[in-house]
Amino acid sequence: MNHRERILTALNHREPDRCPMQVSFTPEFAARLEADMKLRGQGLHNPHGGGNTYDLERALDEDMLLTSVGWVNGYYQNGYQDVESYQDEWGVTWRSIEYRTRFGLGKYTEPFGHPLADDHALDSYVPPDPDRPELYVDAERTLRDYHNDYWIVGVTPTTIFECAWGLRGYEQLLIDMATDPGRANCVLDFPFHYHRTVAQNLVRRGVDMIWLGDDVGGQTNMLMSPRMWRTYLKPRMAELIASLRAINPQIKIAYHTDGVVYPIIPELIEIGIDILNPIQPMAMDPFRLKNEFGDRMCFWGSMDIQQTLPFGTPQDVNNEVLLRLKTIGQGGGLIIGPTHNLQLDTPLENFWAMINAIQKTPYGSLS
Amino acid sequence: MTTLDDLCQSVIEGDRGLAQDLVKKAIEENIPAERILKEGLIRAMAEVGVKFENGEYFVPEMLIAARAMQNGLSLLRPYLVSAKVQAIGKVLIGTVQGDLHDIGKNLVAMMLEGAGFEVIDLGVDVSPEKYVQAAREHHPDLIACSALLTTTMPRMKDIIDALKENGLRDQVKVMIGGAPVTESFARQIGADACAADAVSASTRALELVLELKKG
Repeated sequence: MNHRERILTALNHREPDRCPMQVSFTPEFAARLEADMKLRGQGLHNPHGGGNTYDLERALDEDMLLTSVGWVNGYYQNGYQDVESYQDEWGVTWRSIEYRTRFGLGKYTEPFGHPLADDHALDSYVPPDPDRPELYVDAERTLRDYHNDYWIVGVTPTTIFECAWGLRGYEQLLIDMATDPGRANCVLDFPFHYHRTVAQNLVRRGVDMIWLGDDVGGQTNMLMSPRMWRTYLKPRMAELIASLRAINPQIKIAYHTDGVVYPIIPELIEIGIDILNPIQPMAMDPFRLKNEFGDRMCFWGSMDIQQTLPFGTPQDVNNEVLLRLKTIGQGGGLIIGPTHNLQLDTPLENFWAMINAIQKTPYGSLS
Repeated sequence: MTTLDDLCQSVIEGDRGLAQDLVKKAIEENIPAERILKEGLIRAMAEVGVKFENGEYFVPEMLIAARAMQNGLSLLRPYLVSAKVQAIGKVLIGTVQGDLHDIGKNLVAMMLEGAGFEVIDLGVDVSPEKYVQAAREHHPDLIACSALLTTTMPRMKDIIDALKENGLRDQVKVMIGGAPVTESFARQIGADACAADAVSASTRALELVLELKKG
């Protein structure tokens, strides 16, 4: 069973030989792992896949390879490690900040300057062009080199809401959504149109799956009401997904949102989402999701990075893998992996406990 | 409906223009500033908290209510000062060193202000030294620390240690919060409380300040 077959079997709600796996890393964790595995460095690792050689993913026997186009690449824009701030092609200004862990220093980035913060800026704003051929060179290479063996995912999260908050500012965008629908719609349409075209272009090039996403969940509840989500985001996502299926009816659609989103899951299924990611176990109960939605939806993620992976023991990690395989992974329908990029605070012992437990636990051994 | 009822309702509905007009009207009616604060603005934000806990309000509704409350408060502030109305307590709030996330921290700050606290917001990426320096300068009752990331959570312990080293820990309560932060982590690092969201942060803050004042 090759990697593609493993993923396809799981997504068809059947049990493959073992649970398919996808793991992503921050650049710092990737560098530490490359040293541990004595792999030649591949340059700066992009957790969203853009520009990667996939040496790490292939050495770890992961089953799908990610290739990203879109605003999300601003998070690890080339050169971010050497500067305190930078601007992406949308005009969003990012800050780069250092943090320290017991395993060394890392840097991450966060948007802080918003080109549409001023109301008047909306009138003259021109977003980047999503049809530039150079945006797709990486995806084409990934498909050419790896499509026979691997499940290739076109990555376009921060699809509408998150990119719009980068453009307008988080609080102002939410205030617009509550008080000024015309303005909110205008801001949301910039990333919606851009990422719709990007996703269509990736589907035309032959990716197996498109990964959409917008964080609409917090740790304990949704960030916005289901009603507001239905007003602004559901119709756009539905239209985007329908446009992708018009190009390739077989395309699989994964959707990323952190946090709690129980109230909208039936509607995510209704608009054509096949796979929900990342299933943060400290926010949503994976077993409950499997029971309520497991016959209509697949899941991707579910390994806790808020507690178990950074702060647990290797035994805790092993136990969590087995628990997931027996619950949310029972009967297939799960691509297992950490619920976000592994960060520098995760001990390598825990990382290897996760990889080994996944790889050394055939589905057949669980009954 | 009295003017204060109308004011309360305008804040709950997030109508900042109306909230300002009604604060002006209440002042013109010679309603004491403290009553306008407590029976108009603070009552409204308490109701907003209840609606949040009941799942009726979410972040956008809280934001517009808080904005209306702040608009009203800015007009009322000079009257509160001249009437020598004291805040319930003083809070220093910030996102810890190495962390730039401020959505949760800002919501907590708004809810604390709406509960009658004086809030001094130190911003993001706040070092333990900066907390200590601000604590010396402002003499807060409560220090509130936020972190979104597991990689920056450990800085919360550094803040508590720095307060201890500088002899300030006994004079102030410490509350922590943020997505990965748990009660057991709070106990482990010696914080006084952990809050899961902005509304419970405001409830816990009131309890902590009461405890502190009782000694």
